[in-house]
Amino acid sequence: MGRGVTKKTLSVLKEKLSKGMLPQWVVTDPDIYELEVQGIFAKTWQFLAHESELPEPGSFLTRWIVNDPVLLVRNQNGEIKAFLNSCTHRGTILCAADHGNKRAFTCPYHGWTFNLDGELIGIIAGDKIYGEAMVKSEWNLRPIPRLESYRGMIFANLDPNAMSLEEYLGDMKWYFDIFFTRSDNGMEVIGVPQRWVAKANWKMTAENFNADPYHVQYTHRSTVEMGISPSDPLYASYGHQVVLQNGHGINVITGKEGRSRFQYQTLPESMWPMFKRNLSPVQDDILSRATVFVGGVFPNLSFVSPVHGTEGNLHNYLNFRLWRPLGPEKMEIWSWFFIDKDAPQEYKEESYRGYLGSFGTSGTLEQDDTETWARMVEANRGIMTRDKDLSYNNVVNYLMGFELLQPDPAFPGPGEAYPSTYNDSLARSLHETWLKYILAELERQEEEVE
Amino acid sequence: MSSDLYREICDFLYHEAYLLDTRQYKEWLELLSDDVEYRMPVRNTVEKKDDPFERQGYHLDESKVSLKTRVNRLYTNAAWVEDPPPRQRHYISNIVVEPGSTADECRVRSYFLFRRSRGSEQHAEELSGVRHDVLVKINGEWKIRERIIYTDHAVIPTMNLAMFL
Repeated sequence: MGRGVTKKTLSVLKEKLSKGMLPQWVVTDPDIYELEVQGIFAKTWQFLAHESELPEPGSFLTRWIVNDPVLLVRNQNGEIKAFLNSCTHRGTILCAADHGNKRAFTCPYHGWTFNLDGELIGIIAGDKIYGEAMVKSEWNLRPIPRLESYRGMIFANLDPNAMSLEEYLGDMKWYFDIFFTRSDNGMEVIGVPQRWVAKANWKMTAENFNADPYHVQYTHRSTVEMGISPSDPLYASYGHQVVLQNGHGINVITGKEGRSRFQYQTLPESMWPMFKRNLSPVQDDILSRATVFVGGVFPNLSFVSPVHGTEGNLHNYLNFRLWRPLGPEKMEIWSWFFIDKDAPQEYKEESYRGYLGSFGTSGTLEQDDTETWARMVEANRGIMTRDKDLSYNNVVNYLMGFELLQPDPAFPGPGEAYPSTYNDSLARSLHETWLKYILAELERQEEEVE
Repeated sequence: MSSDLYREICDFLYHEAYLLDTRQYKEWLELLSDDVEYRMPVRNTVEKKDDPFERQGYHLDESKVSLKTRVNRLYTNAAWVEDPPPRQRHYISNIVVEPGSTADECRVRSYFLFRRSRGSEQHAEELSGVRHDVLVKINGEWKIRERIIYTDHAVIPTMNLAMFL
């Protein structure tokens, strides 16, 4: 692991990054990928689900943290637990269904049975074959080392020594609260997440979503041609790009005058007094004048809360997406639709259709994204693009806003808020955070060798 | 069910597939009734006792208006997903035609295998499943009033669902 990636190549990388450039070889390099799996995905908080997906005792979901199968259950006391979805007897996948409701899980191989707390409660012919010496409780399901929630969002971490989820999210909590606390009953997931496989590298899609409103004017130019988006090429730049701790960040896109044409993102007026009651005046103000919120939690959770539809039929929703890497050139995308539980039923339905039309498997915006993501992968397999000595000047450009834009002290929310979202500040922060983890992992592996 | 009718419906579905394969989407829209309901629910892997489509998630839940928007977008100069155009093929088979609630209506079940070849990729993307249609005869011509697409996949193997099925 890590062969071909040395401290020297990484120090060149660091230097380039500090000048607003990213060496192209890191995008899909297989050694880098191994370092990412070990050093990033096994160390950071990974989004698994929202509590509304586990409505009652016995509800379960199966999810993945890269290649680790996870079984999430709500036990009889209503608590949510996460286990490695692998029988402790021979390691078989214990539960093969995506979701459902059960009182216990029985492995089809030899029939070992576990309850909703992961306790081994049944071994076929137990005492007769294992004797009384075997302590059943030593063979309970293995819990995922850390499981924590914030406002119903369930995250797990494979690193038992990781900082708490709340500390990790940092000021992102303040922005998440705008969505998750504005309504009395919070948000709910409707339907099930769509899942599909794309030819793409997770870093590039995370960056594309979290940190790149600049692509909107050209990748999604079809919407301009159709009169859905404004023709001003700067239309997605107006607002603030907020760089937060730990590689997280958010773009608050408001329109040229600092106030969207769509008050409260088209959410029904009947809900506005509730928002005012539940949010701080500053959060309420930002919600009332943003057209789009788009951002992400490092490393691989992104979100977008847009206004979508054609004139007269505009709706808002919150879309979460997880980029689950399946290798340096491939990923499985998970896409969730969220809406306020308190929204009128008709609004929820229209908003869901608006989501299908814009993002997700069939979304018209997303369709064109998948094409550019694939092309990034396809260009990154060569001698020139993969050269670690950078002798072909194989670096890509993150110079937008570099040393040009300064944070706007007037922005009322937390974080470093730059006064334009056509700006690579957040992308640079994302890649710097990425590099920090890669360096730490390389050091750890080198110590192991010694 | 007369063999003439069966033949007529088969011809209709093959013609539809040809329009889609040759990217004549505006002509394809003409085959849909104005009140068409066009859906593709999200399939899940669930235990035998449960319904794989139970949780009401969709990949597509479209009306004529929203399909028109999708089609019109593909005719712009910036729909990169189809520029350069991928090569696509709809294989339609196992067609079963049953009478509908009136003489001018029938219920049709058909299997599909969709293959798409993009750029220089050696492997074509593939998608399969079954479609449940309601066809109605309007002014002497068959139109699709309802189509529900049940894909075989819990994880969609194509990088997007830009195609119509």
